[in-house]
Amino acid sequence: MERMTEEQVKTIANMLRKRSLWMIHYCTGCGAMELPPTMTSRYDMERFGLAPYVTSRQADILLITGYLNVKTLRRVITVYEQMLDPKYVIGFGSCALNGGVYWDSYAVIKQLDRYIPADLYIAGCMPRPEAIISAFRHLMELIDSGKADGYKRYKRNLAYYKENQRKVLG
Amino acid sequence: MGVVDKIKELDGAKITIQRENRIFVDVDKDRVIGTLYSLKLMGFHQLSVQNVVDRIKDGKFEIFYVLYSHEYKINVIVRTWVDRDNPVIETADKIYPSAHTWEREISEMFGIKVEGNEDCGKPFILENWKDIPPMRKDFDSVKYSSEHFVFRHSEGENE
Repeated sequence: MERMTEEQVKTIANMLRKRSLWMIHYCTGCGAMELPPTMTSRYDMERFGLAPYVTSRQADILLITGYLNVKTLRRVITVYEQMLDPKYVIGFGSCALNGGVYWDSYAVIKQLDRYIPADLYIAGCMPRPEAIISAFRHLMELIDSGKADGYKRYKRNLAYYKENQRKVLG
Repeated sequence: MGVVDKIKELDGAKITIQRENRIFVDVDKDRVIGTLYSLKLMGFHQLSVQNVVDRIKDGKFEIFYVLYSHEYKINVIVRTWVDRDNPVIETADKIYPSAHTWEREISEMFGIKVEGNEDCGKPFILENWKDIPPMRKDFDSVKYSSEHFVFRHSEGENE
């Protein structure tokens, strides 16, 4: 039998990966409120192969639900760096996107993707469970086509991310 | 003699009865600890909140202690004022142990020095804070925010 090429292995791996995603959700803000209906029987995200998980080492998706202040950013970066490749980040709600209602706060960072690479953002305040499910479906498509490469970008542009992190965290 | 009459007899205190279950007790800075002690003996066992209001127009910090009595169902609010330039208060954690944590917060958020509380001055909530305390009224949050964080500008928006 002919050996598979590396490209074919990647294609198959991505196809399988997108069907079994474990998610760790970092509940910093009010966004965590929309997750219980998403996880449980009302919207039931397990039918897509998604499951909430408790530790960072086994998780594939890091879901940032809400605003991040300087103090929580430090923990988020630790969690992100603990996760194993491949890993995907979803910024949830307008606070992770641009600061949201906390745009003038002395503690809240405004752009998540300056500090860790976000694959996807869900806009809205609050995004409904339909939007979350839709984002997961979109992430699956990105994984399938190999476009969800945040963890590769993080390694490639480590100096950029570390410099930005150092600026706010000291 | 009811508890309200007892409160009225506190030394050096100005009493305002706003409602039947909400009584303000305004005292000098030096009398706060004694007043709190007397109130605790009367049955006000719970310190609900201790916090600060920045009265920047008067040049004062208003420090208030919200006490509650489960026996009488009355809130007593003890208020005192200190100078904004040199804010020093005395600790109340010997009377109300939960004041220990409240004092750490107010000393960090307002820069008030608390005598007798050895944990004040240690980092509590903020990390690597180098500006003036953030809850003071003269702290410019928008300026600080735009200096330290990068805003996202959407397409077509004038910068």
